[in-house]
Amino acid sequence: MTEPVITRIQTSLAQQMAQPGGRTLTDVQRRADERLGRHKAEVMAEIEAAVAGLESLCAARPQAPGAEVYRLASRVVDLAGFFDTGPLFDAGYSLADTADRMTAADAWDWPPVQVHVQALRLILNAGCERNAATEQLLSGLKAVAAKARS
Amino acid sequence: MAEDRINLEQSTVLLVDDTPQALDMLGSIFQGFGVKEQIKRPSAVEAVKVLQQRPVDLIVIDCGDPEMDGYAFTRWLRRETPAPMRYTPVILVTGHASQSKVQEGRDCGVSFVITKPLTPAVLLKRILWLAGDEREFVECETYVGPDRRVRNFGPPVGMTGRRKGDLSAHVGHAVEENMDQADIDMLLKPQRVSL
Repeated sequence: MTEPVITRIQTSLAQQMAQPGGRTLTDVQRRADERLGRHKAEVMAEIEAAVAGLESLCAARPQAPGAEVYRLASRVVDLAGFFDTGPLFDAGYSLADTADRMTAADAWDWPPVQVHVQALRLILNAGCERNAATEQLLSGLKAVAAKARS
Repeated sequence: MAEDRINLEQSTVLLVDDTPQALDMLGSIFQGFGVKEQIKRPSAVEAVKVLQQRPVDLIVIDCGDPEMDGYAFTRWLRRETPAPMRYTPVILVTGHASQSKVQEGRDCGVSFVITKPLTPAVLLKRILWLAGDEREFVECETYVGPDRRVRNFGPPVGMTGRRKGDLSAHVGHAVEENMDQADIDMLLKPQRVSL
């Protein structure tokens, strides 16, 4: 086996960031938060469309649905993950994980998917607020996901 | 005390995301961070074309394209490009990492994997960490990228290190007499220094 080559490096990013000047951390974070916030309405509409797509799949129950369910659940996670959508992100992540594991194990089952999609709709309709009801909903999803994995 | 600052006024960032809205949001975040230039591409294949033309200072990628995903892109960057481009920091962003991808994330050579939720605060913290990143760059048959050990405590106990600089984890017997307490106190005692 050849000897590993170890190099001590300093990246151009590190050199540039070491230069004096720039902005305060508070300032750049405020600016980034403000600019990101401008996308929220459009993104929530995209998430709504993805959940509607999942509802259609649950109603139609097509053959070999794993990839499409995973794609839509991942879309919810990818977009919701930019904002504080609390339970919506968690429920989307749980669905993506459940779909991924059921597909890998070749053991697809619709009821766990259906429960997740209903939870996503409830959370969306409730404005993605984290409260006692959504916490209970998420712990229910956790149990459903664990059962689907076993 | 002066507040900490970040200077990205000279930096070019390559942003890659196969979800158009996510790419726009990443762009807005980096606009807020005050980068000099951002290059946005919707696929890793397109990002490769950019790097074949010019260097960048930081790459942020979230791409699940089967033709070339973020992991394959990073392997290409680390193995197929010349230095110093191959050292470019890569932050790989992921929403849900499928089971098959978890190990790949560790082994492809990224500087950081950030799992969503991704807030500007999290991203900022990681960029600041990269600015002070003192990890060495490792190139061997099975891995090319920053040292995966954030802290280097030497080889595992009972194993011989594979690197020339690895020290033995076994300290061994003392070869000199113990220092007495007075000597230790002298070493720790604050001394007046004339300037």
